[in-house]
Amino acid sequence: MKSNSYNPFEVAQKQFDRAAEMLDLDQATQELLRNPIHEHHFLIPVKLDDGSTKIFKGYRIQHNNARGPIKGGLRFHPQETVDSVRALAMWMTWKTAVADLPLGGGKGGVICDPHNLSDDEQERLCRGWVRQAYASIGPKLDIPAPDIMTKAQHMLWMLDEYEVISGVKSPGAFTGKPVGMGGSLGREEATGYGVVITIREALKELDINPADTIASLQGFGRVSQYAFELYIQMGGKVVCVSSWDYNEQKSYSFKKDEGIDLDELRSITDTFGGIDKQKAADLGYDILDGNAWLEQDVDILIPAAIENQITIDNVDGISSRVKILAEGANGPTTPEASEIIEERNIFLIPDFLASAGGVTCSYFEQVQSNMNYYWEKDEVLSKLDVKMTSAYIAVSDFATENGLKLRDAAYVISIDRVANACHDRGWV
Amino acid sequence: MSDNKPLDKIIVELKERAKELSCLYDIQELLNRTTSINDEVWKGIIKSIPTGFQFPDICVVKICGFKNNYHSDNFIESKWVLKSDILAQDEIVGHIQVYYLEERPMADEGPFLKEERRLIDNIAERVGLQILHQQLKSIFEEQKKPDQREDWWAVLDMLKHTDPKLLVRLSRKMVNYLCWSGISEADGLLERFSPMVKSDGGKLFSETNKPFDRHSGVDMIELSYEIFEVASNHIDEKKILDSIHRWTKEDKSDFLTEVMENSGSTLAKISSAIERYHHLIPNMLELTESREKSIRVALIRRILTDQPDFINIAKKVIEVDSFSNLLHNIIYPTVSHGQIGGKSSGLFLAKQILSSSKNDNPFFQKIKTPNTWYVTSDGLLNFMTYNNLEEIVEQKYKEIGRVRQEYPYVLQVFKNSSFSPEIVKGLLMALEDFGDVPLVVRSSSLLEDRVGAVFAGKYKSLFIANKGTKEERLLELMDAIAEVYASIFGPDPINYRAQNNLLDYREEMGIMIQEVVGTKVGPYFFPSFAGVAFSRNEYRWSPRILPEDGLIRIVPGLGTRAVDRLSNDYPILLSPGKPGLRVNVTIDELVKYSPKFIDVINLESGTFETIEIDSLLKRYGKEYPALSRVVSVLKENHIQPARPFGINFSKSNFVVNFEGLVKRTSFLKEIKATLEILQNTYDGPVDIEFAHNGKDFYLLQCRSQSYGSHIEPAKIPENIDPDSIVFSANKFISNGTITGITHIIYVDPNEYAKLPNQQSLLNVGIAIGKLNDLLSDTKFILMGPGRWGSRGDIKLGVSITYSEINNTSMLIEIAKQSGDYVPDLSFGTHFFQDLVEADIKYLPLYPDGQNTIFKSEFFNSSNNSLVSLLPEMRDLEKVIKVINLKSENKSFDVYMNAEREFAIGHICDV
Repeated sequence: MKSNSYNPFEVAQKQFDRAAEMLDLDQATQELLRNPIHEHHFLIPVKLDDGSTKIFKGYRIQHNNARGPIKGGLRFHPQETVDSVRALAMWMTWKTAVADLPLGGGKGGVICDPHNLSDDEQERLCRGWVRQAYASIGPKLDIPAPDIMTKAQHMLWMLDEYEVISGVKSPGAFTGKPVGMGGSLGREEATGYGVVITIREALKELDINPADTIASLQGFGRVSQYAFELYIQMGGKVVCVSSWDYNEQKSYSFKKDEGIDLDELRSITDTFGGIDKQKAADLGYDILDGNAWLEQDVDILIPAAIENQITIDNVDGISSRVKILAEGANGPTTPEASEIIEERNIFLIPDFLASAGGVTCSYFEQVQSNMNYYWEKDEVLSKLDVKMTSAYIAVSDFATENGLKLRDAAYVISIDRVANACHDRGWV
Repeated sequence: MSDNKPLDKIIVELKERAKELSCLYDIQELLNRTTSINDEVWKGIIKSIPTGFQFPDICVVKICGFKNNYHSDNFIESKWVLKSDILAQDEIVGHIQVYYLEERPMADEGPFLKEERRLIDNIAERVGLQILHQQLKSIFEEQKKPDQREDWWAVLDMLKHTDPKLLVRLSRKMVNYLCWSGISEADGLLERFSPMVKSDGGKLFSETNKPFDRHSGVDMIELSYEIFEVASNHIDEKKILDSIHRWTKEDKSDFLTEVMENSGSTLAKISSAIERYHHLIPNMLELTESREKSIRVALIRRILTDQPDFINIAKKVIEVDSFSNLLHNIIYPTVSHGQIGGKSSGLFLAKQILSSSKNDNPFFQKIKTPNTWYVTSDGLLNFMTYNNLEEIVEQKYKEIGRVRQEYPYVLQVFKNSSFSPEIVKGLLMALEDFGDVPLVVRSSSLLEDRVGAVFAGKYKSLFIANKGTKEERLLELMDAIAEVYASIFGPDPINYRAQNNLLDYREEMGIMIQEVVGTKVGPYFFPSFAGVAFSRNEYRWSPRILPEDGLIRIVPGLGTRAVDRLSNDYPILLSPGKPGLRVNVTIDELVKYSPKFIDVINLESGTFETIEIDSLLKRYGKEYPALSRVVSVLKENHIQPARPFGINFSKSNFVVNFEGLVKRTSFLKEIKATLEILQNTYDGPVDIEFAHNGKDFYLLQCRSQSYGSHIEPAKIPENIDPDSIVFSANKFISNGTITGITHIIYVDPNEYAKLPNQQSLLNVGIAIGKLNDLLSDTKFILMGPGRWGSRGDIKLGVSITYSEINNTSMLIEIAKQSGDYVPDLSFGTHFFQDLVEADIKYLPLYPDGQNTIFKSEFFNSSNNSLVSLLPEMRDLEKVIKVINLKSENKSFDVYMNAEREFAIGHICDV
């Protein structure tokens, strides 16, 4: 690869360098945090169904564990480069830290394409991965979770292998397990609810009563639906939701000025959040262009679909009434658009913070698994509220104290927390 | 009704015919049990005869002329009598008499029907044959006694008195045999037998060109004795006896040969000849291998199809007698010379193949075929002539726009026309046989399903609920057949035929009326699942899948959704040879690409419907047959086959993925074995349609693999100018031909790798999406590095979603070697099923591979229209090349041939 070509790890390091400068981190701390603390690379021989053996490359990159056991996804991907995994491992460290979870960050996986492997072969691969990584993972060391092209089934095979080797039941060694097999309730709701908890706290700061606000959402998948649910429980009104029409391969916005009935809209929505256009029209919705959600005269915008949705091209369409934009999706706003939004004094709650509900619930699964005692959903969600609220307040206070935008504050505070943990442990 | 007979009367008549037939079968059964008619058989016959008569309660029977006289228990003579003589070798040996004890209304012959006359004559004939057989047998047994030398003369003596013609025929065969065996004495005998041979110095005809005088003076009987005299000098006695035995039996099948070889024989004649043959085979008839083969071929040609390729396959497995049952279910016009067409023949053949291989695999024995009736191909002409619609044949020569415009009118005319009485009768018999189960009326045209031909799915198949009174059911069935008939004059088939030079081929269409496989679920009727299976897989979603691993497209409910490409839904794709390799592996993929709809027959409204699976399961999930094989339950990010018990139907998230079927049954192994045996017999790839009602597997159709125009192996032109070739490939090739490409969008792998940041990499995807919209009216292809649409490391493949490439004709992924490393390509897995359903071709290119061509200079030197199309994307000009070939009066063609593992793309002049 040419040195001037895009390297995600270099980008992550540069981003870190800027924050480190702001925090005035000493050289040793910077060096420590710029790189993964452990990297495990190993080979996994797997017997294929046809009797032949194939050697797979497996790895686990542990970026930092100063704040607690490593947490991070485990992906099956045929062409991941180690640098992109390093970047993702570092990102996990900041992600657990911003939510103030007692965890570190890591990432791992196997270079393979599960489309080319039968279930039996994948099971042998999962078990092989655990045998190779056994010494460096575990409920008190490093807890992998599903990621790209891995799912609950893979975690269960891995957990089983782990328990067979250790001779001890350790449901907390992996997360992302199904409910009843060591999984946690509330995972469905966690991210969407988390987004709205941060909005609620932001509204408090702005001294606005949620019941006086109206909102518009992009997407109608899981995050959006649960954000909608909690937001209307707080008294808010949603007037517009956009959704991807799979058949037409384009999105539409569905609008009802008097406020959308969530149950009604859910009843005409498929598993992917696709809303039936015809039925919506029959129910009196205005069917508008896919971008219309962004242009509504509302107080709150929640992009909860995919990345790169608010760009320099459409950012000007945002109404002057908008006060808060909470990123429920990953990277929905491009950096240029982000700048314009902040210039307009719209309160932008960054994805990093707003969507921390997911990793928080993952942490709860681990806690419950370690206790082997599982909470009711209410208990999970109320604990989520507590965690998200304090995470938000800490970031917001940090922003105010240091004159930072929320996005920068969230990033800096997380690095600060990790750096402090390293200091406190006497590492640097 | 067209023949002016009330429906009920027709039904009564049909029932009478059925009674007569069953009586005849019973008697044949009795005769088959033994070679000599004993008291028990006689009594059985006495008992069976009344059951074939209109008034069995007052019907008594007497048989006389034999050792004993036999009669019914309550026998008294009356004046209402029907009598038939029993003949053996033209001699009356006894009589059968049938009496009615009471007066009944007058019919054709006193109170008896003409059909009853035929019945009693038929019985008498069969009894006579049996008696002859008995006589001959006792003679042969006498011969076997060792102390009686040359007693086979007695056979000749007996024949001389009973059947001299047979004696002469046997002698002729013997003299032929002797000549072939090189016995010189026989030559003279042959000359006397057939004087034209070798007379006049070996010339066949005399100089005068005058026909030969027949040697009328020769005493053929005497000559026969001479021949056997000579035979006895050269051949041992046992062989002579065996030959007489064999030839006598063979002689009995002459009727079959005569009928079959006569091209003027109607289907009715063939049918009765086969019927006769069927009743003779158990012990009275023996065919030589060559005669059996010739009859078999003749039957295949007359009843199934005259395609030489088909005949070649079919003659290896189809037995003469197997036509007997088939013929019972064929409906045909009075003077029919029709066939049952491709689809029907294919199914019949497959059934025979599986039944002849049933010992190879226990599954073959379990395979069922639904009850099926056929209307012969000349039924269409009969229908058109009956309604004076002949001029509609000219439709095919009209301009296509006009065909399209006139088609609704043709359809209406057909639907308002009536069927001839014999067809109506036949349809009624079929309905009587089916009962009120739902039916599918399918076309079985002579063009369709020809071995190696591409003519799949051009004509209609219609489902009917078949509910209501007999008249309503008949009307509904006739309406459906008329509609299928009309579809032959539809614009699409005519256009297709015009394009493939098939217009002048006379199109005749057989009809297949088939019981729909399924069960009732709520108000609906459908099979648990159904689909199509191909012995050769043209869609490989993983390089580990080989073409010979096969492919199944399977759906819940009626198989229509698996046969057709779907625009808004997906069938499940499975590879029987690699059951573990699934197209979709992540939860998102599994949910997104699972079928959401199901085709059913609504028994209440009598219509074919497409409904949402989810709502069907929520309401009637408990009744769904073998549900646990079809659907899985999704709970958060965990997905498991549904269990037979304990499903909360109203709350569960169902995903159709056939995981239960794949993992918990041997279904895929069985399908693979079935495809293999069919493929071996066909000597080439096959495809089948199937349905499963939760209990049994049904084969619905089988044919030589029809690719459909979209997956036909490309015929790669031979004279491509080497300079015009831009790329070639020889790994993981699928089938397809794309010509007339006007634009190539090329993402340069080297330039893409150099892009400095994530945003610029993302922009490439955005630009592709915009070009996809801008060029939606043109024929363009996409080429670029790595795994398109993969999540994860964006550097390794252009980041796009399916909607950003959905207008392309083709996606070409380029795996450029970097150091020792050749990247894996995606094979389009992220939207594989979208590509399949939208018929977007996929081709992986390995530019550094052996024996491949990849001319990067073509892309570098061509004019790039990116900036004119997307000025705002100027920055990407080095990375994305949009090559407009049209502006240079050129176009691009890609040919892909999976069988040869070869693909080529080249520039051509317009």
